[in-house]
Amino acid sequence: MHGPDVGWYLVLAALLFVTGALGVLVRRSPLIILLSVEIMLNGANLALIAFARRLGHEDGQVFAIAVMAIAASEVVVGLGLIVAMGRRHVELDVDKLRTLRG
Amino acid sequence: MSACAWICLVLPLASAAAITIGGTSLSRRTAGYISTITTFGSFVAAIAAFAVMLGESPGDRPHTTTSWTWLEAGRYHFGLTLLTDQLSVMMMLIVAGVGGLIVAYSLGYMDGEDEERRYFAYMSLFVFSMLLLVQSGNLLLLLAGWGMVGLSSYLLIGFHHDRPSAVAAAKKAFVMNAFGDATLALALFLLIQHTGRLDYAGVFASSPHGGAVANLIALGLLGGAVAKSAQIPLHTWLPDAMEGPTPVSALIHAATMVTAGVYLIARTHVLFENAWFVADLAAALGAATLLMAGLIALVQVDIKRVIAYSTMSQIGYMFVGAAAGAYPNGMFHLMTHAFFKALLFLAAGIAIHALTGEQDIRKMRGLGRTMPRTRLAFLVGSLALVGIPPFAGFFSKDSILAAVLDRGAFGAVLFACGIVGAFLTGVYTFRLFFTVFGETGDVNPHLHGDREGPPSMVWTVGVLAVLSVVGGFLQFAPVWTPLTTWLEPVARPFAEASSWQEALASAAAVAVGAAGIAIAYALYVARTIPVPRTLPVLQHKFYWDEAYDLLFYRPADLVARYLNRFFEQPVIVGSIGEVTQGFRVGAGEVSRVQNGLVRSYALALAAGVAVLAVVFLVSR
Repeated sequence: MHGPDVGWYLVLAALLFVTGALGVLVRRSPLIILLSVEIMLNGANLALIAFARRLGHEDGQVFAIAVMAIAASEVVVGLGLIVAMGRRHVELDVDKLRTLRG
Repeated sequence: MSACAWICLVLPLASAAAITIGGTSLSRRTAGYISTITTFGSFVAAIAAFAVMLGESPGDRPHTTTSWTWLEAGRYHFGLTLLTDQLSVMMMLIVAGVGGLIVAYSLGYMDGEDEERRYFAYMSLFVFSMLLLVQSGNLLLLLAGWGMVGLSSYLLIGFHHDRPSAVAAAKKAFVMNAFGDATLALALFLLIQHTGRLDYAGVFASSPHGGAVANLIALGLLGGAVAKSAQIPLHTWLPDAMEGPTPVSALIHAATMVTAGVYLIARTHVLFENAWFVADLAAALGAATLLMAGLIALVQVDIKRVIAYSTMSQIGYMFVGAAAGAYPNGMFHLMTHAFFKALLFLAAGIAIHALTGEQDIRKMRGLGRTMPRTRLAFLVGSLALVGIPPFAGFFSKDSILAAVLDRGAFGAVLFACGIVGAFLTGVYTFRLFFTVFGETGDVNPHLHGDREGPPSMVWTVGVLAVLSVVGGFLQFAPVWTPLTTWLEPVARPFAEASSWQEALASAAAVAVGAAGIAIAYALYVARTIPVPRTLPVLQHKFYWDEAYDLLFYRPADLVARYLNRFFEQPVIVGSIGEVTQGFRVGAGEVSRVQNGLVRSYALALAAGVAVLAVVFLVSR
């Protein structure tokens, strides 16, 4: 086996995930939130592939591809929503979208 | 035979179901025709059953037919059993025959009324219930019919549901009848306990003779009979029931339903013979009712109420006859009364119809000239009611009076009451006749047109008038007694009059009846005697309603008020208020968590996952 130890990949995956999560929590623009979600998904993908390599079979890679497909469709929906908001001249700030509060 | 019985029973039910399901897709006329034709169909089936029976020997005449086991509880089996015997076939003929005439009359009377379909559906339901009552082969089915008759009577009295007085009258009738249903049910419980059966033959064979149980059973049956037949002390619903449409009054509150009590006594006469005290009590109640109702009828001003009180009075005679052991005489009077009382009601209905609903006899005067046929019909009915020969009432009423003479001293008291009642009958009946149909006075200004109603109203009244004339010739004791012979296997009388008793009773009753008519003539036509002042006690109908109000309604109302004030309001209403308030406040607090900020939801999610992760790590 070549390259760094699998543990480092997991550390990097966790860093990516937390970065993304922080982005979702603190940013207000839906576009950035969408990007942050993508970063979180990629962190998860990295962890999946690292485990696949460690365990020596391909299930993890298959999962990663499935996640990418889902991420792509999610972006389509998310960007569609953002474009719709822009067309209606809704301000791109998720904190302003509070119609569903109790 | 069993086919006849089932057809007779089911046709009116089918009619009620068809009109109900058909709804507005049937025209009003069609609903009336369906109801009329099915009721006459029942009558034809009853005639067929009667014809079959005529060809059989008396011992073979009772037929029972069971469709299936209706109720099964442990060792008790109660079938859906019909009994067709001499007594029930007689009742089937009366109920379906008179019922058919009255439903046909309704075609004209109810024309143009709102909700005609509902009326005819109820009428059919009533005929079905009454047939179930008289055809049932065991007491349980009889109780079912008994209750359903009460229900359909409630529905029909309250037919004008937008009139508060009609609704109140319907409620009153239902509650009083329910009381009777309850005592009847209690009697049935006792019978099940002591005999284990409810079919008539089984009950009669093994029910106890004498003693407290036999008396309680008979008392329970009497309670049911008294409530249904409007006898003292459960009579107050009948006059109020006149709020229903006039044909309803004729069918339910004169011809059929109110005579169910007499039928019950005749049907279960063995149980009454086992309890002498209760049988005599029934006769005494009948005698008291016939006197009291006759007195009240003297002062009533509503034409239908006068006839209603006369109905109570006549059923009093039937009670006296049936309870004193003269079953065929009681049943005979039941039959002739069905004819002439239906006739009186329907003739009164023609007058009311022509006056667009006016029922106060003080405003009805002077109808005789414009309505000669109705006047004649009413005269026939009145003469039959008073018992003037050769009209129907003469034969049947006098036979009851003669039979009670056979019962010694007690019978003599009953006879005296009956004679006084016959006198009162003459006065109040002809007060009504002379006031409403007398020749005096101008033509009534309220009359619209001079028509006597559509053909359906005229010919039915005509048929009933003919029956009121010829119906009495069925039996003229002691010369010919086909009815007594016919009913003997079912209800053998133990009070039978001898020839001199018949002669005495007839002479006395006709004499006082004629005297009553003469006095009514003197009072209301010749005016040779001034009309006496109305006694308050009669005006208030002997204060029965006031007494019930004081005894039952006021205490219950008081208790309810106190419970409302000291329990309902502080405990129930208070606690419910507290609970709802608590939920409202709690929900307000909780709903603040849902603030609509997506980021805070995401944070909650992340924090939850973090906590779970820590828990898993620690607990490993």
